[in-house]
Amino acid sequence: MFNNCFPFSAILGQDKVKKALILNLVNPNIGGVLISGEKGTGKSTIVRGLSNISKSKDVIELPLNITEDRLIGSIDLKKAIVYGEKGFEKGILYRANNQILYIDEVNLLSEHIVNILLEVMSREVNVVEREGISYSHPTKFILIGSMNPEEGILRPQLLDKFGLYVEVKGVTNIENRMEIIKRRMDYENNPREFSLRWKEENNRIEEKIDSAKKIIQDIKIDNGNLSFAVSLAEEGNCAGHRGEIVLIETSKAIAALNQRKFITKKDIEEAASFALPHRLKEAMILETEAEPLDDSKIEDRKNDISSDDKSNETNSMNSNQEIQLEREGDLENEEMKESIEDIVGTNKPLSINIEFKDKVSNEGSGKRSKVKTNTHKGRYIKYRFPKEKVKDIAFDATLRASASKQKNRDKNGLAICIKEEDLREKVREKQTGATILFAVDASGSMGARRRMGAVKGAVLSLLNDAYQKRDNIGIVVFRKDKAEVMLNITRSVDLAEKCLRNLPTGGKTPLAAGLYISYQILKTDKIKNPDSLQYLVVVSDGKANVPLKTNNPLQDAFELGEKIRNEGIKTMVIDTEDNYIEYGFAKDLAEKMDSDYIKITQISKTDVETSVKSLLNIN
Amino acid sequence: MDRNKLVYPFTAIVRQEDMKKALILNIINPKLNGVLIRGEKGTAKSTAVRALADIMPEREEIMGCVFSCDPNDDSFWCEDCKNKEGKDININHRKMRIINLPVSATEDRVVGTLDIEQAIKKGEKRFEPGILAEANRNILYVDEVNLLDDHVVDVLLDAAAMGVNSIEREGISYVHPSRFVLIGTMNPEEGDLRPQLIDRFGLVVEVFGEKDIDARVEVIKRRLKFEKDPEAFIQEYEDSQNELLNKIENAKDILGKVTYSENCLRLAAEIAIAMGVDGHRADITFMKTAVTHAAYRGDTQVNKEDLFVAAKLALPHRMRRKPFEEGVIDFDKIDELIEEAVL
Repeated sequence: MFNNCFPFSAILGQDKVKKALILNLVNPNIGGVLISGEKGTGKSTIVRGLSNISKSKDVIELPLNITEDRLIGSIDLKKAIVYGEKGFEKGILYRANNQILYIDEVNLLSEHIVNILLEVMSREVNVVEREGISYSHPTKFILIGSMNPEEGILRPQLLDKFGLYVEVKGVTNIENRMEIIKRRMDYENNPREFSLRWKEENNRIEEKIDSAKKIIQDIKIDNGNLSFAVSLAEEGNCAGHRGEIVLIETSKAIAALNQRKFITKKDIEEAASFALPHRLKEAMILETEAEPLDDSKIEDRKNDISSDDKSNETNSMNSNQEIQLEREGDLENEEMKESIEDIVGTNKPLSINIEFKDKVSNEGSGKRSKVKTNTHKGRYIKYRFPKEKVKDIAFDATLRASASKQKNRDKNGLAICIKEEDLREKVREKQTGATILFAVDASGSMGARRRMGAVKGAVLSLLNDAYQKRDNIGIVVFRKDKAEVMLNITRSVDLAEKCLRNLPTGGKTPLAAGLYISYQILKTDKIKNPDSLQYLVVVSDGKANVPLKTNNPLQDAFELGEKIRNEGIKTMVIDTEDNYIEYGFAKDLAEKMDSDYIKITQISKTDVETSVKSLLNIN
Repeated sequence: MDRNKLVYPFTAIVRQEDMKKALILNIINPKLNGVLIRGEKGTAKSTAVRALADIMPEREEIMGCVFSCDPNDDSFWCEDCKNKEGKDININHRKMRIINLPVSATEDRVVGTLDIEQAIKKGEKRFEPGILAEANRNILYVDEVNLLDDHVVDVLLDAAAMGVNSIEREGISYVHPSRFVLIGTMNPEEGDLRPQLIDRFGLVVEVFGEKDIDARVEVIKRRLKFEKDPEAFIQEYEDSQNELLNKIENAKDILGKVTYSENCLRLAAEIAIAMGVDGHRADITFMKTAVTHAAYRGDTQVNKEDLFVAAKLALPHRMRRKPFEEGVIDFDKIDELIEEAVL
């Protein structure tokens, strides 16, 4: 629209992305591309530049904050109001038919919109039944998405819909980096002239695509091709059959680009490097090292996609709030010593995986829970018939609702007459995370730095999770004769980490005091943020020896524990007791609070690198 | 002078040189992509931004256009101006303005929405412009940007990056130019911005309260003086304000003519790689900042001073780090690299 395109051919490096896109232009049956990578790597720039090399297809962008009515279409307001006719106002899905639909930051797309997309893509038809109108139209498009995996995972069902997958990284070669800077600065200085300079190269690419498109019709696939493709998909343990179908379509395009009417094994192998990475399932990866696929990083990712699968399936109707921990089995003390030392040395996180399942009705948990809020905050995603008195009017929906009924209404000199039955209210969606408060025992009984190291490791991995889910964190520390708030509830996971790093230890164990302060903080938080979930993680061996109220320190602690439970605050106890002498106090506390309970010795040392990556990249 | 428009003069702000410089550079070259000012409360963040109003150069606008379209650049005109096709175009001379985005802003006010009145009265679907429309060709100031709803920040940064606001919601489908200098402030104690979002800010500056006693005293003195008799105070600084304004205007003139050596580019790339940055925004912004600073100095050739300044303003927030890893900036290393480079 405003000619803001950096020329496609002027982008240096990122050849794999370019190829994936070009393949799709040659053969739209491939099913699009998902481009994943760190920030500043030209993801959106490349896609937006596609219009340079595809005159027949436009790039239609789907903005993150799109509302349902603009996506699928709605009643034509003007027609209804002014002419009294029922007409269909086309949405983006109509415009996108036979074009390219591009979603930037696709992993941040609202749940609701994703659902609509998934449905429409399977059917390849958009059926609209709303606001008094009925309409349907075909909608087949090349879906292109870009995302930064640090920000969150893509739902597996949506991930699967993408034909190809490419990872992007910054360029490391100095000369190339220099050229990238230079080109960008030249472009910004004089966009028109710069674009002209690259016009020829753009045209060349477009011609190549056009001639490939002509050949592709004539490509013959033989049985050898088919069985090889199937075998590759099988080895990858890909779910369903989409893998091999995409493989074949991609191989066709590759062959066509090379001006050939037959497919070679190499074509299929190349195709696999685009079509399979996001479909591989965990089991096989370790065996298939010889595969010409992307490196093991991607394979590890799949681990997490499949484990997230479970949470997606069972999240909506739960009668209890459950916290699921992934236990990796028991360990010998030997191994444990080793792992703690490691942790102390490097402060690397362990792999605790906490999944929140919310009992409040919601639609899935891309973040912890998407709560439909009643306040006027949050993104307006769709409308509904008001339940009681309307507080948050959805004007556009109300207008549309009344539009088709204008014929029989007295308008009083206005263009439209709105009646109470037309009123619609907004449904807003706000990402609420949880408020997670850590009550950390820093007393001498917590033993050596080793145990503190393990504690820090455990908390760090929870923090990882918290960052993405936009949780609020607080830290209460108890030792000697009191408990204090080391970190006030904040969104800054950064601060939480710094605070943990500098935790002093030693002294007695005022467990009750720790619980008391935690209780107060969370109670206040509940009042301030009625929509969020409060969560307490107690890290201790339970050996309370400083009383609060009565003479019995443990009793005090248990009493507070019950209070916390009665308040509806969910808890977890991480028991740091030595395996040698088991008093089991922490376990008792966990019972009183109805907490989830885990021994710190049960948290195994897994491949730390993997867990770090997996926690941050895809999760 | 209108009492309400009595703004504390920019040049009267004590120290905070980095912050002042970052703001000035962005006025000279809006393509630097804005400034994020991080710091504790009471460090002149908002004062500095408001004070900018006085040192911004005048420019031409098409009269009556809500987007303040530039009569000299039709490639970026809004629909309405385009439709006029050069007829009936009256020109206004105005300074860049500072448009405020409050923390409680809701999306519809930010991106714009359906004009309900038009719809009900005339049955017409008209676009009611939001803050992003007003912000075109101006400065958009967001105080406490880390407290904004995530999705509002998303929308802001997207518009800032593309220079265009494209709306598909609430019955409206509309596109309009939205190029602005984004200035955000935040107090890191309240929580941080996602790294993704920080990366989109061109420059980031950290501000601290003055530790030096003399400076602190000066801050109080000046503030009290200003509040006692603002007009006189402003008069006192009139010369230095004008001087700065001239410097800015000259810089804008020569900005397009500034050149840099091949080795500068090389240095930018080397530093970026040494720091392990994500993507390419670091080096690109680094170079642009150096070029702008050269113009600010009145020079048409980038020199080492420019590079040092650029490193300080454009690089610190771009170290590759996971959300809360300890990002250690080895500034000594960077200074060394610059020192040793042969330009």
